[in-house]
Amino acid sequence: MPERLFEVSSSDRVIAGVCGGVAATLGVDATLVRLVFALLALAGGAGILLYLALWVYAAGRRTWPGIVLVAAAGALLLLALGLPRTSVAGATLLIAGIAVVLSRGGSLRPGGSVPVLGVVLLASGAVIFLGRHASSGPFVAPGAVAGALLLVVGPWLWQLAGERAERIRLAERADVAARVHDSVLQTLALIQRHAGDATRVAAIARRQERELRRWLYGSGLGEASTLVDALGEAAADIEELHGVRVELASAGDVPLDEPVSQLVLAAREAMTNAAKFSGVDEIAVYAECRPDGIAVFVRDRGSGFDRAAVSPDRRGLTDSIEGRMRRAGGSATVVTAPDQGTEIELRLPGGGS
Amino acid sequence: MTRRVVLVDDHALFRAGVRGELGDSVEIVGEAGSVADAVPLIRDLDPEVVLLDVHLEDGGGEGVIAAVAPDRPGVKFLALSVSDAAEDVIAVIRAGARGYVTKTISGEELADAIERVAGGDAVFSPRLAGFVLDAFAAGERVGGDEELDALTPREREVLQLIARGYRYKEIAARLHLSVKTVEAHVSSVLRKLQLSSRHELTRWAQQRRLV
Repeated sequence: MPERLFEVSSSDRVIAGVCGGVAATLGVDATLVRLVFALLALAGGAGILLYLALWVYAAGRRTWPGIVLVAAAGALLLLALGLPRTSVAGATLLIAGIAVVLSRGGSLRPGGSVPVLGVVLLASGAVIFLGRHASSGPFVAPGAVAGALLLVVGPWLWQLAGERAERIRLAERADVAARVHDSVLQTLALIQRHAGDATRVAAIARRQERELRRWLYGSGLGEASTLVDALGEAAADIEELHGVRVELASAGDVPLDEPVSQLVLAAREAMTNAAKFSGVDEIAVYAECRPDGIAVFVRDRGSGFDRAAVSPDRRGLTDSIEGRMRRAGGSATVVTAPDQGTEIELRLPGGGS
Repeated sequence: MTRRVVLVDDHALFRAGVRGELGDSVEIVGEAGSVADAVPLIRDLDPEVVLLDVHLEDGGGEGVIAAVAPDRPGVKFLALSVSDAAEDVIAVIRAGARGYVTKTISGEELADAIERVAGGDAVFSPRLAGFVLDAFAAGERVGGDEELDALTPREREVLQLIARGYRYKEIAARLHLSVKTVEAHVSSVLRKLQLSSRHELTRWAQQRRLV
């Protein structure tokens, strides 16, 4: 949900507090806003529709009814000004376009994200609007109206954009504080509770460290979006689940697509096997991305094993690692012998994308 | 012979932890928490090895190296960090650190790394080996013709094995080399990293910042 441009005012209200809210957002007197709405209401009821539109928008449940109402209000206003229907249709599309852009949280500043639908509406509106007037005479009146609208709405939009940026900054700061507090405090509490269990404390601390580090230096919040981030998450899970230490190194990185995700799952399975069966508490994982393909190595210095001696009903290696890599178009190689440790090499050809 | 070590890290708690973990294996002759404190301290004490955090409150660890190294060429620096930012780690190495280890290293491994650095060798953690391969891979396509601009196939092989978690001894066995030769390859990579002035390293660092 995009950030609300304004809230209805609960203290300064006559009907629903829309005018009060608009006034608070713009920093002008509420009476002035009410006067503008009243005048607009006289223009074929446009003010009433606009009021409803803002109300619906501020209620925050749905954006579409708000946009439709805004467009209808604009149409009524222009018809009331005596414009021909084609111009009105064009202008309506223009307004609807602006509404879509705003409601989707698009920024009007350079570099902001602009919703495609809004731009399409804007463009088609402009084409109809100009197409109508290119051939016929009375271009001046609607031109003046459009110009006046721009003069009125322009600074307002500019101000809104500034306030939006400020609000986003504040929200980000609050987000940082909340995140650091939650995660770090939670971890400290966990550490206190498991103070006697050194392995578990170490695992919890390492996981916390990884999370914070990925958040600070990595791809940020949410799901991992690259191979190295996803491997980092898998490694942290394994550390926590099995009380081992996973040393992750990498050269290069690639975005996470389907084959790469399968590679991560296979690597995770390899780490799990190493954690469970190797008998050592340290696992090394190295991911290398080159133009000719991706390679991930999972290695332990543990007991190793004899493949021939592994019971055939143990499907982890065959299915979850080898089968998975084959289906993803890659390969898995296992190098191991009793007491020689184990290294599993997972490869995807051609950069993985 | 225990090595004389100075510990530079802005977290007192972490310094205490390292002190405890290292125990009697080295002699910690001084501690500092900032670039401003560290520079005169290291000049005075003239230790064999400085354990240096990559990030300090008043600047990067490379500032300490730049200020001390000209007067005290005998002091060896070993970078120690939790930082994931490859370009910061490479910056400290380029400034003259003899190696990089992560803060999760065990006390025993750290003591071993200090010994190695004091003896003039380079210490590459798996993570640093990955960073270096990444940095040099960026220039591969450009095809620099200077000797310093590219890794030899053997150096690349050694770095890959370090990144995969192999120790020098294991690498030596696997590549049928002596441990001394493996160490020589790593030192050579370090020298290339520090002396290479090629644009690719800078460009690589800039690209990393943009990602």
